[in-house]
Amino acid sequence: MSFVRGSRLTPDRAVGSVLLVVALFAPLIFNTYWISTLLTQMLILGVVAASLIFLSAYGGMVSLAQVAIYGVAGFALGNLTTNGNTKGLNLGWAEVPGIVVAILIAVLVAMLFGALASRSFGIYFLMITLVFSVIANLFFGQVTSVSGFGGISGIPIPDFLSRTAHPERLYFVTLAVALAMYAMMRYVARTPFGLTLQGIRDDPVRMSSLGYNVTLHRTLAFGFGGFVAAVGGILFVWWNAQIAPSTIGLSATIDVLVIAVIGGLYRLEGAWIGALVFVVINNYAQDVSFIGDRFHTLIGLIFLVIVLVSPDGLIGLWERATSARKRARPGDITEERGSAELTPAG
Amino acid sequence: MVAVPGWRRGPNWLAVLTGVAALAVAGCGSDNKSSSDTGSASAPAAADTTAAPAPAAADTTGPDPQPAVAPRSGGSGTPIKIAIMSECQGAFGSFDNQNMAGAVAALSQFAGAKPKNPNKPKDGFTGGAIGDHPLKLVGVGCGNDQADTAIKETRRLMEQLGADIMIGPLSGDESIAVANYAKQHPDKTFVDGSAGAQDTTLKVKAPNFYRFNGDGAQWNAGLGDLAFNKLGWKKAAIISDDYSFGWTSTAGFIADFCAAGGQITKRVFPPLNTTDYSSFAQQLPDDVDGTFVAVGGAGLIPFLKAYEQAKGPIDSKKFIGNLFWGTPGQFEQLGPRVSGAYIGGAGTAGDLNTPAAQDFATNIIGKWFKKIPPGGDAAPQSSSTFTYGYYVNTWGLIKGLEAVKGDISGGQKKLQAAMAKVTLPAPYGEIKLDDNRQAVTDVFYQQLYTKDGKLAVKTIAKIPSVDQTFGGTFSASTPAPGRNFPTCEKKSLPWIGKSQPVKVVG
Repeated sequence: MSFVRGSRLTPDRAVGSVLLVVALFAPLIFNTYWISTLLTQMLILGVVAASLIFLSAYGGMVSLAQVAIYGVAGFALGNLTTNGNTKGLNLGWAEVPGIVVAILIAVLVAMLFGALASRSFGIYFLMITLVFSVIANLFFGQVTSVSGFGGISGIPIPDFLSRTAHPERLYFVTLAVALAMYAMMRYVARTPFGLTLQGIRDDPVRMSSLGYNVTLHRTLAFGFGGFVAAVGGILFVWWNAQIAPSTIGLSATIDVLVIAVIGGLYRLEGAWIGALVFVVINNYAQDVSFIGDRFHTLIGLIFLVIVLVSPDGLIGLWERATSARKRARPGDITEERGSAELTPAG
Repeated sequence: MVAVPGWRRGPNWLAVLTGVAALAVAGCGSDNKSSSDTGSASAPAAADTTAAPAPAAADTTGPDPQPAVAPRSGGSGTPIKIAIMSECQGAFGSFDNQNMAGAVAALSQFAGAKPKNPNKPKDGFTGGAIGDHPLKLVGVGCGNDQADTAIKETRRLMEQLGADIMIGPLSGDESIAVANYAKQHPDKTFVDGSAGAQDTTLKVKAPNFYRFNGDGAQWNAGLGDLAFNKLGWKKAAIISDDYSFGWTSTAGFIADFCAAGGQITKRVFPPLNTTDYSSFAQQLPDDVDGTFVAVGGAGLIPFLKAYEQAKGPIDSKKFIGNLFWGTPGQFEQLGPRVSGAYIGGAGTAGDLNTPAAQDFATNIIGKWFKKIPPGGDAAPQSSSTFTYGYYVNTWGLIKGLEAVKGDISGGQKKLQAAMAKVTLPAPYGEIKLDDNRQAVTDVFYQQLYTKDGKLAVKTIAKIPSVDQTFGGTFSASTPAPGRNFPTCEKKSLPWIGKSQPVKVVG
């Protein structure tokens, strides 16, 4: 176990710093479309996928309900802050209380989902959360007072984030929020709660016999993951100005899982890497003439190749490259892995 | 370092499961399967007048046929970059080429362009110019009837590919999203494709979004008048899909029927994609004179069967359907019993015997295209609401551009002012725009009848100059059509009692 966290410049930190600088200066490097559409979308999808990866990496819970929770936050915000539109409750609240209450509702729903699912493990957990996702989709599709099939459109965005006037501002807000979420998840993973969660991930029976309340920890973790997803939902609604049941349909649920798997299911950074690959392919594949309308098939094939070449996703490729380099250095056999680096020595 | 058994290599079962799921979703997404609800939007191409002779006073008037302009390719002016938002996935994915055929035919007929491939409208066009300004197709969007995708594609077309003007989208919720997008981008211009949501123009009111086709409620104008005054319905029930198109479609009937003096005693709303309609059929009352059915797509036949189980055989004079009834082939098992039922249209009437209507099929759509895949020959597909919608909207755009000689400088303000004044001598009747830039247009209703032992559809009557407001029933300040709106009110509508029988070919 390595607790060495000094200022040594690891390849991870070097690349992370470079990427951070690129992200900060992105408006100087990329055109407006990339900034206001592709990169912003990448950061938002990354936040949602990161909530999934957090649960998966630190809690051993692969959840398909993250999209449902982000949808709950998005629909709640839409209902609370929209005014004079034809669909939804049109409560016309101000932004700040709207955001707070929307996130609160989403976290409560996440806690409820978590309480119901937390006794299940592995594929059973996956199936239960898939059911949550389907329930959320059908709920918003059929309860016409809060949404209905067509969803809520014309959701207001704070003036200072207007896409037309300031295309880069939402990007920077999203970037800041994404970094904050990333830091928060890293932090939580290192708290006693996070360490207990990892213990439960590795051996729930042993943790239970040591006196830890396994179900409660998993429920709380699910609620925390729900919070991160809900923040992503708020950003999504600002970015998209509307939300519909199809936004949180099965296809969107699988998209986020695909992003997480492409990136790598055990390191938070993978979420944004997977999201970048997904968003860029999704956008440009249909411009390639021989692919045309078959771009979904192409995305499926690329995904399969990534999963076959590296079951640990793109982060896995990077890890193998760096650990191979490390192994070549005699005397340094420490291997750092996000999920395992701070687990108690066993 | 703690070894985490089983975790180190990642959950392989998950990777496999996700792969399968992703491919399944990919398969669904890219499969252009035709769905039964949408084929219905094609109006009949031919009808047998001997089965129901048109009255002597039938209306055969209409705009004159519009000749094609000479091919042109423009000069040194700034190119006008056009994007077309079509649909290549989802329930309407198979109408991709119809959409493109409508748009490209209008550009060929009126702006001197030429289809790249007369057998595949999706390939777009070459040439074409307005004044000195060449036309350039920068991209074709691929929608899937979902608002999110429509926005994503609109952004790609307008922001990444730099289009000045967009034509589309196809369906209702997409158009509401695009109209909201248009509002935020006042220096670009948008014309609808074939979308029929009422909110798009009535509520969103984007000053740079124009729609030269009717909305879902307008398409059903005249049916209430028919039910009350000709079929003698005094009390009616409605059953409708519980989403915006169903509500809007039903709203047109309710506004019309109640204005004429009828009463709606029961409204039943099965959720979209219901498979078992028995409980909903049971909810329909027995003490009504008729039922208006706006259940669409895969639900229509299951509903009618459930109705027969609950209430006995269908009496066609006690049913009026919306455009989803326009595909006679689907009624195989109910054939003779639904024969005689009246149905609402989609603003088109392919069997209309006027020079402009027939010219549209043979000398415009049939001239520029030989085939529109996957439907086969092009001319019979001219009266599809998608072909027609994209055609009239593109034509309206061209007329606006002509008025400013292709000058889109100055944030397109001159073009947008000119667009609002455009009137079109369109194949199925003149189209002009109201203050919300929404078409005021003639609409038609049709009837199912039996021809050579098989069910067919013919156009019966035209309702002239139908506007979106239904005499004030719908306005910016009223709620959107929904489960309880519109309420039932008697009032005067300009077209009540004014429907004109039409002469059809056949």
